[in-house]
Amino acid sequence: MKKILAILVVAVMSVALFACSGGTTPSASASTEASTEASTEASASADADGGTTAGDGNYTIAVVPKDSTNPWFVRMEEGVAKYQEENPGMTVFQKGPAETDAAQQIQVVEDLIAQGVDALCVVPHDPGAMEDVLKKARDQGIVVITHEASSMENCDYDLEAFNYDEYGAYIMNTLAEAMGGEGKYICMVGSLTNDSHNMEADGAIAAQGKDYPNMELIDERIVTDDNAETAYQKAKEVLKKYPDIKGFVGTSSFDAPGAGRAIEEAGLIGKVFAVGTGMPQTNKELLDSGAVSALTLWDPADAGYAMCKLATLVLNGEEVGAGTDLGLDGYDSLTLDGHVLTGSAYITLTKENVDNYNF
Amino acid sequence: MNKIKKLTHQTEFYIFLVIIVLALIIQARSDQFFTGNNLVDLANALIVPALFSIGTFMIIVSGGIDVSFPALAALASYIVTVVLNGMNYTGPIIVPFIFAGAIGLACGAFNGLFIAKMRLPALIATLGTQSVFRGILQGALNAQQINTLPPSMKEFGQSSLFVSQNADGVTSMMPTAFLALVVVVVIAFIILRYTMLGRGIYAIGGDESSANRAGFKVVKTKFFVYCFAGVIAGITGIIRACMMNMVHPTNMFGMEMTVIAAIVLGGTSITGGTGTLTGTILGIFLLTMVQNSLIMLGVPAYWQDFMTGLLIIIGTAVSSVQILRSQKQRKPSLSKAGS
Repeated sequence: MKKILAILVVAVMSVALFACSGGTTPSASASTEASTEASTEASASADADGGTTAGDGNYTIAVVPKDSTNPWFVRMEEGVAKYQEENPGMTVFQKGPAETDAAQQIQVVEDLIAQGVDALCVVPHDPGAMEDVLKKARDQGIVVITHEASSMENCDYDLEAFNYDEYGAYIMNTLAEAMGGEGKYICMVGSLTNDSHNMEADGAIAAQGKDYPNMELIDERIVTDDNAETAYQKAKEVLKKYPDIKGFVGTSSFDAPGAGRAIEEAGLIGKVFAVGTGMPQTNKELLDSGAVSALTLWDPADAGYAMCKLATLVLNGEEVGAGTDLGLDGYDSLTLDGHVLTGSAYITLTKENVDNYNF
Repeated sequence: MNKIKKLTHQTEFYIFLVIIVLALIIQARSDQFFTGNNLVDLANALIVPALFSIGTFMIIVSGGIDVSFPALAALASYIVTVVLNGMNYTGPIIVPFIFAGAIGLACGAFNGLFIAKMRLPALIATLGTQSVFRGILQGALNAQQINTLPPSMKEFGQSSLFVSQNADGVTSMMPTAFLALVVVVVIAFIILRYTMLGRGIYAIGGDESSANRAGFKVVKTKFFVYCFAGVIAGITGIIRACMMNMVHPTNMFGMEMTVIAAIVLGGTSITGGTGTLTGTILGIFLLTMVQNSLIMLGVPAYWQDFMTGLLIIIGTAVSSVQILRSQKQRKPSLSKAGS
C-alpha cells in the first residue's frame, strides 16, 4: 500500500511540477514607464515616416521572447523600449517566460490574448508547439509577427534579421578562416526542434561543402539546451570523443562561449576554434583570451524594434512587401518570400571590436 | 562469505554494478572512460548535483521532500554576487560562502517553518516556496545574467587542486570546489551516523509518532533538516557561479527532478526512513555519468533523453527488485517471531 502511495506521490509531484512551472507568473517587464519620458517630437517623426496619420493608432503591442533573463532578450527589450519611447501614444512592452520552455511561453501568449493586445510579436522557442495558440490570436483579430521562425504558418509576417542559410555560411566563413580551411568540425544547437539553430547549422555545412573541401563534418549535432553549463560539459565530451576535432560551430548564444571555456580548460587555444552566435560583453574575456575565435550576431535590440515597427505598419493597414523599410540598418530593404520578410543584419565580433558593442 | 552475502543484499551494491557495467560499455565504445581527464571531468560535473543531493537526501530520509533548492541556490548566488559587486568586494572567498550560507539558512528556515512547525505537506510547501524564490529573483529583483564576479570568486572558480593531462597534451582541471563536496559529505556522514540528531532523522522518517514516543524531538529535527539543506543549497549556488564565472538565474532550474531521481535510484525510500549516503552519492554519480557520456557512447542526439530516462528506470528497478527480495526474505522470520 505504502509503495503504491509512493508511486502516486511521485506521479503527482511531476505533474504538479509541470503544471506549476507552467503557471508561474513570468517576470513581467513592461516598460510602460518609458512612455512618460518620451518626447512628443519623437512621436511626430514616427508618424511622419509611417506615411499616414497614426493618430488613432494607440495600439498595444506585446513582444514575447523565449526567455526573459537571457541577455539576448534583455537587449531586445532595449529596442522595444526605444520603440515605446518614440511612440508614447502606444503601449509597447516585452513579457517572456521565466525560463526557456515552450509550455511556459504558450502560457504567456494565452495571457496576453486574454489581455486583449492589438499585436503580438513572438520569438517562439518551439514554433510547431506555438501554431495553435497563435491561430487563436489571429482568429481574434490580433496581428501576429514572429521572429526566428520562418516555418510558422499562423502569423501575418515572420521577420528574419537575415536568411539563415546565409548567416550559417557567414559563421562557416569566419570559422574556416580561423581553422585555416582544414580539419574536422562539429555543429551545436540549442535543441533539435529549434528552426533557426538547425537552419544555420545546415547553412554552415552547405557552405563548407561548397567552399572548403579540406574541412570535414563530424555528422552529429550537439544539443546544448540553451544552457551555458550544458554547452561547456558537452564540448568537453566532444573534445575527448574526437581528439582530432578542430572547430565548433555554435548557433545558440551559449554554444560557442561554452565550447570556448572547454577549449581554454583543455589548453587547446590556437589548436581548436569556436565560432558562433554570442553576446559581446558576456564573452569579452573569452574573445580576449582567444578561447572563442570570433562571434557572429545580429543586434537583438534592432530585431525587437523592427518587429514592433512592422506590427504597426500592419495594424495601420499599410502595404508591406519587398523593399519595405523599417527604418533601421539591415532592415531598410526587406525581401519577401511567402510571408517571410528578411533583412541582412549581421555583424562579426572579434577581440578588436568587441568594445564597440556595449551589451 | 557472510560479508559477500550481506553485500549482495544492499541496493548500493547493485547501483555500483550498473555503474561498472556502464563504464565498461563506454570504455569499449570510446576508449576514453578510464582516462584521467574523463574522471576529472566527471568529478567536475558531479560537484553541484552531488551537493544538492546530500541536503535533499536528508530531507527525504526524514519523510519530507524538497523541490525548492535550485531556486533557493539561484536566489542566494544572485543576491550575494549583486551585493558584493555593488560594494566592489575584494576580500577572501569565505565571505561569499558565509553570506550565501546565511541566505540559504533563512530560506531553509522558511521551508522548515511551514513543514515542521505548521505541518504543511512538504511537496506543496516547497512547490510554493520554489515559486516564491523564483518570484523574488525574477519579479522583485528582475534578475539577469551577471558576467563579472568579485575577484576572489573568480579565482576560486578557476583554481584547481590538480590538472590532469592525457597523452596528446589535453588538460582537465580538478576544481578546488571539489573539496567543498568532500567536506559536506563528511559532515553529513557524521551527523547521520554518529549523532542522536542523525538517528532521529531516520526514526522520524520511519514512523513519526513512534519516534516522538521514543523521545526524539520531531519538530526540531525536521526544522534542522530543512535549514541544513538550505545552507548547502545556498553554498552550492555560489560554487556553481564561481565555476561558471557568471551568475545565470535560471541555469539550475529543473535539476530538482534529476537530484530526487538520483536519491531514489540510490535506494532511498521516497516515503522516508531508509536510505544511505553512499547510495545517494552512487545514484547521483550514475546520473551524472550518463548525462556526460552519451556523446562518447555515440548515442544520437534524438535518443539521448530516451537513454537517460531508460537508465533511470533500469537503475530504480534494480533497487526496487532488491528491496522486494529482502522483504520477502524477512517475512518468514517475522512470522516465526510472532508464533
